[in-house]
Amino acid sequence: MTTFDDILPEIGKVLAQENLAKLRPIIINRDLNGRIRLILKESTWKAMNKTAQTKLVKEVSACLGKHKYAPDRLLLSDSDFEAVKQDLMLFETELEPVKQGAPHFLLKDFLPEHFKNLKNLKEVTVVDRLVTETDWSTIAPLTNGPHRMVFFSIKGGVGRSTALAAATWSLAQAGKRVLVLDLDLESPGLSSALLPKDRRPLFGVTDWLVEDLVDNGDAVFGDMFAASELSNESDILVVPAHGLDPKEYLVKLGRAWMPKIDDKGAHEAWSARLRRLLDKLEAKHHPDVILIDSRAGIDEAASACVTELGAKTIFLFAIDGDQTWTGYDILFQHWRRTGKADSIRDRLQMVGAMIPDDEHAKDYFDGLCEEAYKVFCCLYDDIPAKDASGIEFNFEKNDLDAPHYPWPVRWNRGFAALQSLHSRFQDIDDDAFRAVFGELTKRIHIIVDSESES
Amino acid sequence: MNADFLDAHLRHREDAELLRKEQHWANADHLYGLSAECGLKRLMLAFGMPVNPQGTPHGVDKVHADEIWQRFESYRLRHSRGALYLLPADSPFADWQASQRYAHRSNFTEIHVKPHRNGAETIFNLIRKARWEGLVP
Repeated sequence: MTTFDDILPEIGKVLAQENLAKLRPIIINRDLNGRIRLILKESTWKAMNKTAQTKLVKEVSACLGKHKYAPDRLLLSDSDFEAVKQDLMLFETELEPVKQGAPHFLLKDFLPEHFKNLKNLKEVTVVDRLVTETDWSTIAPLTNGPHRMVFFSIKGGVGRSTALAAATWSLAQAGKRVLVLDLDLESPGLSSALLPKDRRPLFGVTDWLVEDLVDNGDAVFGDMFAASELSNESDILVVPAHGLDPKEYLVKLGRAWMPKIDDKGAHEAWSARLRRLLDKLEAKHHPDVILIDSRAGIDEAASACVTELGAKTIFLFAIDGDQTWTGYDILFQHWRRTGKADSIRDRLQMVGAMIPDDEHAKDYFDGLCEEAYKVFCCLYDDIPAKDASGIEFNFEKNDLDAPHYPWPVRWNRGFAALQSLHSRFQDIDDDAFRAVFGELTKRIHIIVDSESES
Repeated sequence: MNADFLDAHLRHREDAELLRKEQHWANADHLYGLSAECGLKRLMLAFGMPVNPQGTPHGVDKVHADEIWQRFESYRLRHSRGALYLLPADSPFADWQASQRYAHRSNFTEIHVKPHRNGAETIFNLIRKARWEGLVP
């Protein structure tokens, strides 16, 4: 029984045949329900002889199983051909507009390198129609403004937000003006760590996203941040997910991810709205660095944080477990298959979360490093290949500067409960802080300071 | 005969284009209106419009191009993908009527036809999108 993942390699085999190699360009369109159609120019189709046309329709239809229109319609005779062809194919004058606004990739980048006749699959593009607006494949270019750092994890509860708060405090103590955004809208809590209740602002990110839909963002923009008093050395500005009183948070959240469509049909994806908010906050507050708490997990909201905000550093928190490595493997393989690995891999940095602080620490860390190296290998260049700039992106397993080499955050009971963080930081024990967060914050300072110097 | 709004939309548009090239303004104009109506009805069907066993709508949905804009909007708003199928606020077919098929051809000019052609083209692009997405086969 043919399933979704079976199909592309099978279509690849059909299209890679020498007598169909000239049928280019061609789009393999996967619709919202996972049904597949081929889209090509009418002129391309008419240039084929009848034998090739029949071969294409017959063999591609046979690959699709239930993933096509009228799956029970069989190509038994010539009279069935027209109907089967209409089920399978759409024709366009030009194919570029078909790809616009939808995630797409080249089939040849998706299939393994040893795939037979891979060279024949140039100009075969797979276009996906997804319910979700973000797809982990739109990698926004780096912003020109202050360094944006995203804190991401596959699983929640790994101490990501705590580490972000620690980094915030440390940077502020070093005199940096830090802007912190809680974009974990579905599980907010970062502002609780950095702001006592009496300092929380009236509004948060969710409020702005909703008001922006009716061009009323300015009504909340001035009241959606608050200054944390954690640091005496510099400003920490916190933009929470919601204000002091969340009020109808659930129904606001149900609208926060809406695209904005004006009455002329111009469409602004919600990730673009989020980017616009971030740009406005930067312009208003002039931070030296921006730390962003992302939603955990492989989902739409996390995708926007990780790939679409132009963040220069993306911290990938990991605890050693199947769920973590499966999650990161899914993500990294997707970037490799869609040809996006080059665009994002030099922004990634693994962080080892909750490293035990006992006799198991070394074994645990070694295991973590081993697994991290394995998943990162698909993003590294093969030795001795070099990328177009002539710089090799490849690292040994124990290379301390490798993106896979985890920056450790040690588990410490004192920092474990986020809600106590604010008071905990007030009476900070420098040694305890260093023991837990020292490595992470030292490295973050190096990144931020090296930018200030250049 | 059962209704096939998709095929009807496409064939009316194809023939409207042929007639326009021959400057047969009156009949081209009429077919642009029919194409628009059928295209929107096909989308309305995808967005949940009920139909009778022959596939045609009933009641308030039994309208032509001059009255269909608002009907489409009511179905578009109900569907999860509807936000991506926006039409311009003002219908370009407000001055089109089915009864104009009885009128003398001298009433129709290229200027008269142009907004109807553009309107039909807008709907054609929505149909293309719906086919790519799989909302319409």
